[in-house]
Amino acid sequence: MSPRQKRQLSLEVNGEPYELLVEPHWLLVDVLRDQLHLTGTKIGCGIGVCGACTVLVDGQAVSSCLALAVDAHGKAVTTIEGLAREGRLHPIQQAFIACGGFQCGFCTPGMIMGAKELLDRNPAPTEEEIRAGLSGNLCRCTGYVKIIESVQVAVRLLQEEMAGEAGAPVSPGPGRHAAVGSGQGGAR
Amino acid sequence: MSTGARTVTAPGRSGVVGARVPRVDGKEKVTGEAAYAADIALPRVLVGKVLRSPYPHARLLRVDTSKARRVPGVKAVITAEDTPKIPHGLFVKDTYPLALERVRYVGDEVAAVAAAIEEAASEALELIEVEYEELPAVFDPLEAMAPGAPQLHADRPGNIAYQLSVERGDVEAGFRQAAHVIEERFTTHATYHAYLEPIASVVSYGHTGKLTVWASAQEPFMTQAELAEALHLPPSDIHFIQPHVGGAFGGKTMDDNHLYISCLLALKTRAAVKLVNTREDEFVASRPRVPTVIDLKVGFAGDGAIVAKEARVVSDNGAYTSRTPVIMRTTCIRADSLYRLQNLRTHGYLVYTNKIPTGSMRGFGNPQMHFALESVMDMAARELGMDPLALRLRNATQAGDVTVHGWRVASCGLSECLERTAAEVGWRGARPAPGASGTKRRGVGLACATHVSGRRHFGNYDGSSALVKVNEDGRVVVLSGEGDVGQGSRTIFAQIAAEELGVPYEDVDVTMADTESTPFGMGSHASKVTFVGGNAVRVAAADARRQLLEITARLFEARAEDLAIQDGRIFHRELPQRALTVAEAAKAHIYRQGGEPVIGKGAWDPPSELHDKTFYGNISGAYPFGACAAEVEVDVESGEVKVLRIVSAADVGRAINPMLAEGQIEGGVIQGLGYALCEEIRNEEGRVLNPNFSDYRIMACEDIPVEVKAILVEPVDPYGPFGAKGLGELVVAPVAPAVANAVAHAVGARITSLPITAEKLFTALRRPQASRPATPNR
Ligand code: FES
Ligand code: FES
Repeated sequence: MSPRQKRQLSLEVNGEPYELLVEPHWLLVDVLRDQLHLTGTKIGCGIGVCGACTVLVDGQAVSSCLALAVDAHGKAVTTIEGLAREGRLHPIQQAFIACGGFQCGFCTPGMIMGAKELLDRNPAPTEEEIRAGLSGNLCRCTGYVKIIESVQVAVRLLQEEMAGEAGAPVSPGPGRHAAVGSGQGGAR
Repeated sequence: MSTGARTVTAPGRSGVVGARVPRVDGKEKVTGEAAYAADIALPRVLVGKVLRSPYPHARLLRVDTSKARRVPGVKAVITAEDTPKIPHGLFVKDTYPLALERVRYVGDEVAAVAAAIEEAASEALELIEVEYEELPAVFDPLEAMAPGAPQLHADRPGNIAYQLSVERGDVEAGFRQAAHVIEERFTTHATYHAYLEPIASVVSYGHTGKLTVWASAQEPFMTQAELAEALHLPPSDIHFIQPHVGGAFGGKTMDDNHLYISCLLALKTRAAVKLVNTREDEFVASRPRVPTVIDLKVGFAGDGAIVAKEARVVSDNGAYTSRTPVIMRTTCIRADSLYRLQNLRTHGYLVYTNKIPTGSMRGFGNPQMHFALESVMDMAARELGMDPLALRLRNATQAGDVTVHGWRVASCGLSECLERTAAEVGWRGARPAPGASGTKRRGVGLACATHVSGRRHFGNYDGSSALVKVNEDGRVVVLSGEGDVGQGSRTIFAQIAAEELGVPYEDVDVTMADTESTPFGMGSHASKVTFVGGNAVRVAAADARRQLLEITARLFEARAEDLAIQDGRIFHRELPQRALTVAEAAKAHIYRQGGEPVIGKGAWDPPSELHDKTFYGNISGAYPFGACAAEVEVDVESGEVKVLRIVSAADVGRAINPMLAEGQIEGGVIQGLGYALCEEIRNEEGRVLNPNFSDYRIMACEDIPVEVKAILVEPVDPYGPFGAKGLGELVVAPVAPAVANAVAHAVGARITSLPITAEKLFTALRRPQASRPATPNR
């Protein structure tokens, strides 16, 4: 092992500033998982085809298994851990729970980050646009049907949130397992 | 303990069975909090890496690890010499954790390294010197059976790992009655589970003398037992903790060497070791679906009745034996109970080849024979001039039947599944005519399937056990050793416990499986967790309820029979104002002299039996049935098949959670379409040509049919918990034949070899007899 030159990396992750020393060949996914212990970001293939490692870098969806950590210098990274705010799940997360948009959950962090970027870009996608937009994220469990449905419900929840229905905020709901409403029943 | 008692007696008490409640693990999973094996962080954990054989068959002349050991940071480099040399294998013990004297496939594990950092482990791997003497190899199972073929295992002459024959009735007499006989060879291929989480493990070993194992394994207690045997340790010295598991589909039964190697590295270093498969490791050394060559001959009477069936099955075992003997047996036998047939003869051969060992994958050998049999049904319908739906309904197994192999079918929604899927693709009265526009031809096809809900095998046991604890605040914890690999067992158990106990679903938690604290369960296999594990949870919850009622009866000076529990309240039926909460009862029971907690205990073993020497017997407690219909569009210029619509109906007995049940169907159907159309592990001279997700394509969101429809058929099984049966594996089996039948309907060409690729169809369409325009079989 030859000692390698480490480099200074300044970046923001989920709103927190970090100063790290990283080797130039280190991947963003490894820095997130191993240095920052943000293990919500998964490694499914390591070659940029499964989407399990999807994070947002300055709002752009990136396969963190292909991105060099040093390239995130000066940028803002959002991982799945950064989506819920003050204990409140993001509407996309709520929709995935309500519709059963996951089973094993391994693709889910990447899928939700992919969906986040899609809806940031296109707040009212057609079903076809959802299918195309999520095609970089593989899921082996669900057959995608309930993932597509989850994104459609997320669109509605986001619209409701935007409309600012003050009396009826989208909340995790009273039930411990629930996403929206009472916990008895999903999206339909 | 109730053995095989009918369990659908008392009505539910919280109305949560049958509801689309959110999963108990939802919040963890959507926030990234759920920890999978590779996410387990231990201080000073070493990184493991594995050296694999580059040759399909070779003698190991010399393995020199001395240079590798000298790399700074390397803590251990192990070969077979550092192991107890005990082979593992559930049925045939022929697999050494690290190759002993010989390697038999490209990917065979030769040595392993544990080092402080990844770079050191990689460097050490490169410095291991191995001298191989190449041996002749054989890749095709039919060639491997032939005289003079290279032999893989000295004690298995002719490369036969296992063979069986089964015969019922009078096959010759049956064929003599036949008005039509269909005879065809079908081939099926190797496919990979492609769960999104690669196999991973973290194993810690220290001065306690115990191995603590976190691994992506689907059968906690079976994994513990198998490890114990191969590592020569008492089972209790292996503490297996199941983390979240990122999908399994039969591929995380730990029949491969991954977990043995991480345990051996931990034992050798007396430290903690993390081993994470790369996706390439998975493609070259996991245990993919068994490829088969099936020669099938079926005779039909003029009215469509099946009068005889004869089959010869050759299953490609690969280099070592996982669960393949029983997988092949499933291929040979299980589909026979789909129809009311009486005369049959089947020979099966499980054959070694110098390729990746094969194993269990969703369906356990069943999709292979269903492809053959359900293709033959359509071929026969055409010969008979019968509607394929009518032909199936003519022969379909019904509730109350005892099938040819002795299955006692207590509930059966087969005919309903067939009718409803068919109707959904426009099959009302008769099959809709094929369509054509330009170079596109449209057709519809269907197929059906059966499976099991658990299978009696292991020491004449197919049961499960559970504990249900009622805490002093009224919340409930279910402990089960079955585990959850993503299918949602913990959610199902919470619903069953809530319903039986009479408490709100939100008040129930279900622990993760842990061999030191959860009671025995055999884990996720044979589509048994809901049926068998769910019954054990129900029995345990009933026991806890009985205790709560007795506690309250003493407090109220009333009779327990006069009390009831609903929504977390215990009350007197006649005097409803006499009531307390479950929390109050549980608390009162603990905080008193001689107090004790409320812990319900349950065990359940289904009313099944071991098969006899001829494989006759009611092997499972319940049998699910299902059907699938597909509408396809074939481009006759290119041979490309597009599935426009797919409908799958499953007889689940009762859907404990329709949202989860639909999820099983949808996921299974899309996996089935991958099997039918696009997935294939391509192998050349023993080398996997496509060991990654860009060359091995599983379906992405944009590839799925525009319409995917799941239909739940609920005949309520008398033995299932609230009537539920197994589901997960069933749904894969009918998909490939439904697509093949739809393709034949659209263009007249019958593809008998999976997957149905554009190339195969292009060629078939240009064969003289198939180039005629589509002739619909009505
Ligand atoms: S792990 Fe990065 S795309 Fe698969
Ligand atoms: S939920 Fe398992 S891979 Fe998507």
